[in-house]
Amino acid sequence: MTETPLRTTISAGQLPPVTGEHLLSPVTQAALRIQNNITIATREYLGAHGFMELTPPLIGPVTDPGCRGAKQVDVDFYGHKYKLMTSVILYKQASLLAFDKIFYVAPNVRLEPLETATTGRHLAEFTQIDVEVAGAGREEILDLLQALLRHIVGHVLRESKVNFAALGRDPEAFEPLLRKEFGRMTHTEAVARVRGLSHEQSTDAEINWEGERLISEQTDRPFFIVDYPKGSRGFTDGESRTEPGVLRNFDLIAPGGFGELCSGGEREFEYRRLIERMRETGENPAKYAWYLDIARKGLPSSAGFGLGLERVTRYFAGLDAVWQASAYPKLPGIVSP
Amino acid sequence: MTGIRAPHLPEAAIRARARDGTAAIFPSIAGYGHSLFGAVPGVEPAGDELDLARIVPPVFVPRRLEKLFDLGREPLYGDVDLTSGIGGFAAPVPVFLCAFGSTQVADSGLGLAASGQAGRLGIPMVIGENVVPMHGYGRSGDGPAHGLLGRIRAYADAAPDGLGGVVVQQSTEDADAEVWNLVYSDPSATALVDSGRLAFELKVGQGAKPGLGGMTVLSRAAAVAVSEQYTVDEAFGPDAATVLRSSSPGTFTGEILRQQIHLMRNNYPRARTWVKLHPGRDVRQAAEVAWSAGADAVTVDGAEGGTGWAPSVFLNHVGLPLAECLRRIGKHDATLLVSGRIWEGSRALKCLAMGASAIGLGRAALLAASEDAADGLVRLVRCLELELRLLVSALGKYHVSELTTDDLWFPDHTAHEERGK
Repeated sequence: MTETPLRTTISAGQLPPVTGEHLLSPVTQAALRIQNNITIATREYLGAHGFMELTPPLIGPVTDPGCRGAKQVDVDFYGHKYKLMTSVILYKQASLLAFDKIFYVAPNVRLEPLETATTGRHLAEFTQIDVEVAGAGREEILDLLQALLRHIVGHVLRESKVNFAALGRDPEAFEPLLRKEFGRMTHTEAVARVRGLSHEQSTDAEINWEGERLISEQTDRPFFIVDYPKGSRGFTDGESRTEPGVLRNFDLIAPGGFGELCSGGEREFEYRRLIERMRETGENPAKYAWYLDIARKGLPSSAGFGLGLERVTRYFAGLDAVWQASAYPKLPGIVSP
Repeated sequence: MTGIRAPHLPEAAIRARARDGTAAIFPSIAGYGHSLFGAVPGVEPAGDELDLARIVPPVFVPRRLEKLFDLGREPLYGDVDLTSGIGGFAAPVPVFLCAFGSTQVADSGLGLAASGQAGRLGIPMVIGENVVPMHGYGRSGDGPAHGLLGRIRAYADAAPDGLGGVVVQQSTEDADAEVWNLVYSDPSATALVDSGRLAFELKVGQGAKPGLGGMTVLSRAAAVAVSEQYTVDEAFGPDAATVLRSSSPGTFTGEILRQQIHLMRNNYPRARTWVKLHPGRDVRQAAEVAWSAGADAVTVDGAEGGTGWAPSVFLNHVGLPLAECLRRIGKHDATLLVSGRIWEGSRALKCLAMGASAIGLGRAALLAASEDAADGLVRLVRCLELELRLLVSALGKYHVSELTTDDLWFPDHTAHEERGK
């Protein structure tokens, strides 16, 4: 029996309906079923490859400061100012003292600038698949991420056939992802490409959202942007030893205009370099006492990534906005349960 | 009005301007037609190098001839164009409102009164890094109306379309309070962001205490609340009711400054980027790093500047005077903003002639706002504006950007040069 696919398209800037209506929507339900299979496949793959899953910390005296313009949420912890996690990066690095390969399925809260409410890509509350590997370099991590994503796609296409059909998402769209190597370009090349599309882009900043969408529309499979300039990311992104000013990091961009799915790279881990990078990113090292204390005694070198669960779901499900892939979407500045 | 004092400024003259407006830039008109006026004989000019410099109009004025061609009539002082670009903002006069020191900010109403008046004038306003730690954001009822957001609202409500802008400072410890992230994502600032009238200023240092961070005197109870964030020192004795709260000056190298600016531009692409430097001996080098990293403005506080409270040894002995800062930096195409004991037209003009793009009012603005909370600052700026028009036109020029050091005469320098012959 062939059914007519559900209507998934929304208008630009459209906000989620009220919670009850959103949860009853077959689109939401199909997206969440796909999401469920993504986490099952992730655990399956990483578990089979020797990774320990840890439960993520939710609050701490500090959190990831490297989130473009986003405000952190303060928590009163018995009279001390704590933060909700914007990402667990500092804990990921520290956890490598105990285990060499770890991952979290971690919730994050970032009070993003109001202008991001209508990008279709930002949620103030979202989940990341956070992976970190001691002693790894960027190349190893890129290979891991490609293999993981292929495994997830294979699993989801198998287990969520009905949901793909209901959403009218053609499984053929993922053939290039499964068959061809993910593309790769440097930040400098990405800037040139965005400018080639007559869109403004600074050479020493992150690729802006619109620019990312434009180059994302031009490919048939995910690709990596590597080598972001220092000054575009937080202090944990490792700086090249041979090319000062260039970061050993990457973003994974989905095809079809879905944009960034994942950020990662090699990390800074040496005490003196961490202090310098903290200052270069305007941070006060005193805030990071617990982390620097570990670093002074020896933090393992590592690389890893954080893969946005709702963004991957949106890409797989072919949805217009990332909020369609969240049961309780919280858009920047929009009051919602 | 309120009892703030500024012992190193001519307080009575400033208050008179805040009260009486442009009438106060002339000798008393009661004596007009009866008294003879002139420079007071036998009184040696006093003050710093800028005070001692004289503004020297030429006899021959080719630019006035150009203006005469433009206008088809003899130009007058009213024809002087004072509109200025100030760090990415447009202003009707080359003037901005400096951040206030914590001691004055403690007088809660003043910041708010000055904000509304600066808004009306359409001049950029800098909000100090100390406002959030001292008064809170003012969001969701967590702080009084004179908190950061209260001041932003007071300014934005009064500002004419397209003029001025709000500049929010942050220094090393204040990064903990995420002042910039808060403002950038707050609905109160949306209108300013959308109209390109929000800037963030990285505070590298200040004039009153070059090389030191911010200092505030706190009650012991208040000090407990901030002791996790700041160093608290029993400098006033173990039995004193108050303690000294110190911020760190923050560690900067060329690379640290460059990257901090890059990150600001990356994280806040819709805000302008300003950098405030103390009058360090490498001020030119630091300013050039900031500009080349993309800063829209560099602000330099002369060692005589700052409303901040500082140890006496710093007030009297530390940092380059403003004139020397200006001389070291020289004329640049980029925006250079200066402050330091400026309250009237002559010192303002001397700074502009030495390369500043605009001048900041600090203590003088506070005095004016304390004299008249509704109009004092507006009147003080109107006085400065009229004096600038008179002075610039006397120099045979009709835009402030045309001023050069040829318009000034430094008695000391002449003496040096003559001794060297």
